[in-house]
Amino acid sequence: MFLRNELFVRQMEAIGVMEVTPSDNRLPLRLGDFATLTEALEYAAQGDTGFNFYTGTGKLYAVLPYARLKEEAQTLARRLLGLELERGARVAMVAETTPDFHRFFFACQYAGLVPVPLPAAIHLGGHQAYVAQLRRLLTICEAQAAMAPVGFLPFLTEAAGGLDLRMVGSPETFAELPESPVRLQPLEPHEIAYLQYTSGSTRFPRGVMITEKAVMSNLADIGRYGAQIRPGDRIVSWLPYYHDMGLVGKVLVPVASQLSVDYLGTRDFAMRPRQWLNLMSKNRATISFSPPFGYELCVRRLREEEADKFDLSAWRVAGVGAETIRPGPLEDFAKLLAPSGFSSRAFLACYGMAECSLAVTFAPLDQGLQIDCVDGDHLAEYREAVPVGCVPGKISGRVSTHVNCGIPLPGYGVEVRDEHGRVLPERQCGTLFVQGPSVMSGYFNDPEVTQETLLPGGWLNTGDLGYRIGDSLVITGRAKDLIIINGRNIWPQDLEYLAEQQPEVKTGDASAFSVPGADGEEKAVLVIQCRESDVIKRADLIDRLHCLIREELGIDCFLELVPPHTLPRTSSGKLSRSGARRDFLTRMGGERLVQPQTVCLRTAAGDRAV
Amino acid sequence: MTGYEEILRELLAILKTFAKSGQTLQEETDLVADLGLDSLRVMKLVVEVEDRFDISIPINTLPNIRTIRDFAVQLEQLLGEAH
Repeated sequence: MFLRNELFVRQMEAIGVMEVTPSDNRLPLRLGDFATLTEALEYAAQGDTGFNFYTGTGKLYAVLPYARLKEEAQTLARRLLGLELERGARVAMVAETTPDFHRFFFACQYAGLVPVPLPAAIHLGGHQAYVAQLRRLLTICEAQAAMAPVGFLPFLTEAAGGLDLRMVGSPETFAELPESPVRLQPLEPHEIAYLQYTSGSTRFPRGVMITEKAVMSNLADIGRYGAQIRPGDRIVSWLPYYHDMGLVGKVLVPVASQLSVDYLGTRDFAMRPRQWLNLMSKNRATISFSPPFGYELCVRRLREEEADKFDLSAWRVAGVGAETIRPGPLEDFAKLLAPSGFSSRAFLACYGMAECSLAVTFAPLDQGLQIDCVDGDHLAEYREAVPVGCVPGKISGRVSTHVNCGIPLPGYGVEVRDEHGRVLPERQCGTLFVQGPSVMSGYFNDPEVTQETLLPGGWLNTGDLGYRIGDSLVITGRAKDLIIINGRNIWPQDLEYLAEQQPEVKTGDASAFSVPGADGEEKAVLVIQCRESDVIKRADLIDRLHCLIREELGIDCFLELVPPHTLPRTSSGKLSRSGARRDFLTRMGGERLVQPQTVCLRTAAGDRAV
Repeated sequence: MTGYEEILRELLAILKTFAKSGQTLQEETDLVADLGLDSLRVMKLVVEVEDRFDISIPINTLPNIRTIRDFAVQLEQLLGEAH
């Protein structure tokens, strides 16, 4: 069965059944001044706006006005309550970009249940890995019910096998449940609004707990001070709902500000990036966010002669975040699409994380990217960002360009601290600590990591590195060891784990990190201590790992085998990833990393243990 | 309806541009292990196949495709349903 029946869509369009929700609303705009998500939806439901869903070829296939979302979510909430789930029970949902996700998410809000979005990203040949990932998440969030769209249901059912869930099904099977005649008691401000498992690695995920109060505060501030939403604004998004930027920014912000959204599936965007621009043009959308990777992909895939085929003149907020922002590719995007009316002043840099609901800082609106050029060698050696001016050829040393991510939202405090916890002055690089009204309550069922991350006084250790210029923040590196490839977060511990699972490798014998590749993009590197001296067996280990890494994580990784005791350790005996990276770069001696060319042995992938 | 052999021939033609130079492609060739396709290149491949055969490939088929044969069999099924 096709997930989206194109023929059906065409028929509906032909008879004019489906009409896209308008950008203009008869309701006065309210920017998130609600106590809870259901209160926000109730208000939005009095207007005309809502969600619109498009196929990969740009056809509208579903429309869900807020008025109908409210009705359908309430009905579904009564069905869920018939399962006799306790208040606050977790309901997991595979977060594919479909109207059912919205229905289930808000049904949980009405029923006093906690929605947990599950990833909907699967790789070629990745059946086992995906099922294992879902199973881990269902287990650690202690889900009591789980939903997947029909296409994903076989994986979810397999993942839930033997686990104690009241119900696992598709939206269609949930729709057959009887409605419980109870009065709905929606989630209240102090209760958990959702769990988000974007933080932490695939293998060792952490569930961020966000209360209604926390998320509502962020939704209001994003609308007021970030995107500065106006009547008539319209959003386009292809961001996955299982990430904070997609869920909070592009599902919840619109509800809290009564905006219409046009959605394109994440995979559809990756396949045909120009559909993003087509949608922006079609309904003259004004707001869209993407990690830098999304803008880069457009530049890579668009043909020169298409550059003036779009109408991007209404696009006033082109948000950029979620990974360290390199200005080059964004400038390329702006230059390429200027003939379509895109203005580089629309770029809006921002910084945030799931642990803060979503946003912490925003650059000023309408000014484009503010670049800070500093002496790169000095920064690396002394952790001090000395400005050198951005005119090329002015200085002999390495110029390191960084994007200013703007000032913290009201109510947010930000400190840059050194490793001893001392607050650093302006332009000194250190770890970012933030404190504010939308910070999480902790990691679900993980007091230990919560205690390490959430410090007395409500300070959150972000693990991100950066410096201050006045009140504004510049991010120089994210989450300390995090590796970001094509917009996806790859956690080093996941790569290390795969290595350690091999019989030739012992626990603590692998270290993963990233280095800049020949094209300036990050490349993942995995250094493994290995006693094996047989050339064939060493090659076999490398081949096997290449396959496993591609299957589980969908990336290519540079693998290096080194003799025992090569990897550096910290004083407490832990492996030092930054030390391993430094040694690796020294061994490479400035050589550029080439893409691995290994062709794996047939048995390698087939015989692997999951 | 398009037969398996014809689908395979078309698929091999598309895959040629994804293969490493000098690599021979056979039905048993593993798309991930042998061709080393990362997730973005997989998406590019899916687009080319969709465009060539004028079909939509549901995402839930991907995790079960390992080899070129698997892919061709899936396409044969999809084309059967579409016509």
